[in-house]
Amino acid sequence: MSGSAAAVLEVRGLTIALPSGADRALAVDRAGFSVNASEIVCLVGESGSGKSVIAQATMGLLPAALRAAGGEVLLDGEDVLAASEARLRELRCTRMSMIFQEPMTALNPVMTCGDQIDEVLATHTALSAAHRRLRVLEIVRDVRLPEPERMIASYPHQLSGGQRQRIMIAMALVLNPRLLIADEPTTALDVTTQAQILELIRELQRKHDTGVLFITHDFGVVAEIADRVAVLRQGEVVEFAPARELLSHPRHDYTRMLIAAVPSLEPRQREIASDAPIVLSTEQLTKTYRRSGWLRRGPDVAAAASVSLEVRRGETLGIVGESGSGKSTVARCIARLIEPSAGRIMLDGEDVAPLAAGALHRFRRRVQIVFQDPYRSLNPRRTVGDSIVEGPMNYGIGRDAALANARRLMDLVRLDPKSLDRYPHQFSGGQRQRVCIARALAIEPELLIADEAVSALDVSVQAQVLALLDEIRTELNLAMLFITHDLRVAAQVCDRVAVMQQGRIVEQGPVRELFEHPQHEYTRALFAAAPGRNWVFANDGRTRAG
Amino acid sequence: MSIAADLSDIDRAAPPAPQTHVGRRLLRNPGVVAGAAILALMFSIALAAPWLGTVDPAAINPAVRNKLPGYEETLRNADGRESTLVHHMGTDTLGRDVYSRVVYGARASLLVGASVALISVAIGLVIGLIAGYIRWLDGIVMRVMDGLMAIPAILLAIAVVSLSSTGLLAVIVAIVIPEIPRVVRLVRSVVLSVREEPYVEAAISVGTPTLPLIIRHILPNTVPPLIVQATYIAASAILIEAILSFLGVGIPPQTPTWGNIMAEGRALFRILPHNILYPGILLALTVLAVNMLGDGLRDTLDPRMSKRL
Repeated sequence: MSGSAAAVLEVRGLTIALPSGADRALAVDRAGFSVNASEIVCLVGESGSGKSVIAQATMGLLPAALRAAGGEVLLDGEDVLAASEARLRELRCTRMSMIFQEPMTALNPVMTCGDQIDEVLATHTALSAAHRRLRVLEIVRDVRLPEPERMIASYPHQLSGGQRQRIMIAMALVLNPRLLIADEPTTALDVTTQAQILELIRELQRKHDTGVLFITHDFGVVAEIADRVAVLRQGEVVEFAPARELLSHPRHDYTRMLIAAVPSLEPRQREIASDAPIVLSTEQLTKTYRRSGWLRRGPDVAAAASVSLEVRRGETLGIVGESGSGKSTVARCIARLIEPSAGRIMLDGEDVAPLAAGALHRFRRRVQIVFQDPYRSLNPRRTVGDSIVEGPMNYGIGRDAALANARRLMDLVRLDPKSLDRYPHQFSGGQRQRVCIARALAIEPELLIADEAVSALDVSVQAQVLALLDEIRTELNLAMLFITHDLRVAAQVCDRVAVMQQGRIVEQGPVRELFEHPQHEYTRALFAAAPGRNWVFANDGRTRAG
Repeated sequence: MSIAADLSDIDRAAPPAPQTHVGRRLLRNPGVVAGAAILALMFSIALAAPWLGTVDPAAINPAVRNKLPGYEETLRNADGRESTLVHHMGTDTLGRDVYSRVVYGARASLLVGASVALISVAIGLVIGLIAGYIRWLDGIVMRVMDGLMAIPAILLAIAVVSLSSTGLLAVIVAIVIPEIPRVVRLVRSVVLSVREEPYVEAAISVGTPTLPLIIRHILPNTVPPLIVQATYIAASAILIEAILSFLGVGIPPQTPTWGNIMAEGRALFRILPHNILYPGILLALTVLAVNMLGDGLRDTLDPRMSKRL
């Protein structure tokens, strides 16, 4: 299957040991795959599967605690595991390059972007300063950055995330390496930017016949970009096949499970009674931040502007938007974690927007919020039981009664009720998110806000938590406000969707209508950028190429 | 729901993080062990002072003024028999036994160190929590603290002591005041970062009132850095007390402290260095021990701080 004659990178039986005391003995266990010239191989796996470790081993950048215990990593036939540090330095950038997830931290904040690209050239070539400058301008133009002259004089913080990633790509490709390793290069970017960066990588790779090892957790991205795919589970490559074949006929159970867990872009259909009572409505909800200066007032920044929406009992309203669109601001205003600047938040006919901190106590009971980061939303010093009973005890329920209820809730979120006296670090991310849901439910809210509640989770865990949220919403007849950047997730849980851009709702409507006939151009752009949109994953038994 | 059932084995429990018990990690740190051992020794010397072969540290005997260490004094007891008193560290200009004075002097130093650390942490903690949590008070409180910090600690302490009568309490108060701003700054910075944590917001949204919120969710985060800070404060308080006593504005001269022993020995330092040498060594050793303990605690309890201080 692998045309080993043209293989730029060939990984054979790579084994990397973890330090003793880790959760398993080997970070990477006899992994084998290859990357040919002018081909993109996606390395897919969930968090902790060892995909970044393989990239680090290839670049000779393994952390000191890890060591390669066996196998070989052949770059154009040369084993980089055996290479000296001096040889590795020669190889980096000239023969292999790497780009990272977070371009802000990968770039030096006190050097201009041009100088950073220039540094690569100065280190590895004998070109004169004038020639180097020409080459820098050329590569900056190649990565489709506007105004190259201005770009190379800019510092990283002056550029947007997408532009920074383009600078990273320019740095990586300026010496035309044979192999480009891209470690989740678009994960930190918005979906529209992601689409552009993927397209750019594709284009440059074709132009220069570069082999690309693309590390990702997102099957949408895989469908978009991959020629071949290696699926990694706990350090083992369980399946390595051409992308089309692997996506439509996954052979290994694990691959099948991963692909089945990818939420479909096809919205689900569910009838909701349109006469259900409105639990929450906002009218012209606005939150402006003022950049205050000492002498003069800074400009006002509207994080949310005139947002009007309503959620009925038993219904899930999704708020979809990119980062900075104001969706979390709206959620936090509604939960009254921040104070809205203007507008009304009607909860059962009562306006809670103007309530002072003291008067909010009564209201907090009715609205609960589940946050994005399961590792930071539980107090690490308190048992999960203490976290769950805290709310009910604030409202005068005795500890014993609250604990009994907590046990029932643990059952509801499918966790062992006996583990109430454990601490958060003893749970996995998905389990912690279940604990957070149990905590939110403990004071019996009418409205549950999920603020990117599944975004930090692996796709298989995400599917479970989504199913759980949906089930709970039905069972308890809750109103749910679901904040997400992911159209696939929105398609699966929302009954109605509001699309936000720059603090405003640009479009809202029933999920099916909105997904099938998006009206606003921004909504259309979002759909056009959704990775893998033309691919129907082997979900619910449907298997076909788009 | 079928997916959830199929995948139930994927969302398995994360293995408990390899966390060794804090106590064991502390015992493995040489700084903590050595510092604590020296301090324990100092505290036992201070407590057991009357039983360590000492005589009244304030007893003046003009007959044995300015004797070198090891001088043997012959005493005549009430019943007429003679006994010998060895002045291990010699005597001072008033004929007082330096050994007894140094041993009793440990009491003042350690008492000042410990009580200044406790009091300034307690007061600073309350002010810091208020400044960090009540936003509109923050600016006012912090400017006052900045003002306090702008005055050198010694000058401020001298001013406070001169305004009141001299005495142990006055000295402690005088040293506490300039130490408070440091604690306030530390606590405030912890509060400001912790109050943005999602678990604090989650606690707010389940209706936790402000006071329990601070005590349950914010206060515990300030404890590790405060323990570390307290040791630095104790070390600096011991030094400042010694300096105040040396300058003659500290604890009254009839109570021996390392600082006033050294002050009294200053005039004859060239001929009789022991008057300064012995209390000086103990003072240096104690401050070193407290600092070693502090550094060790910082490294084990709060690794992030090792870069900041």
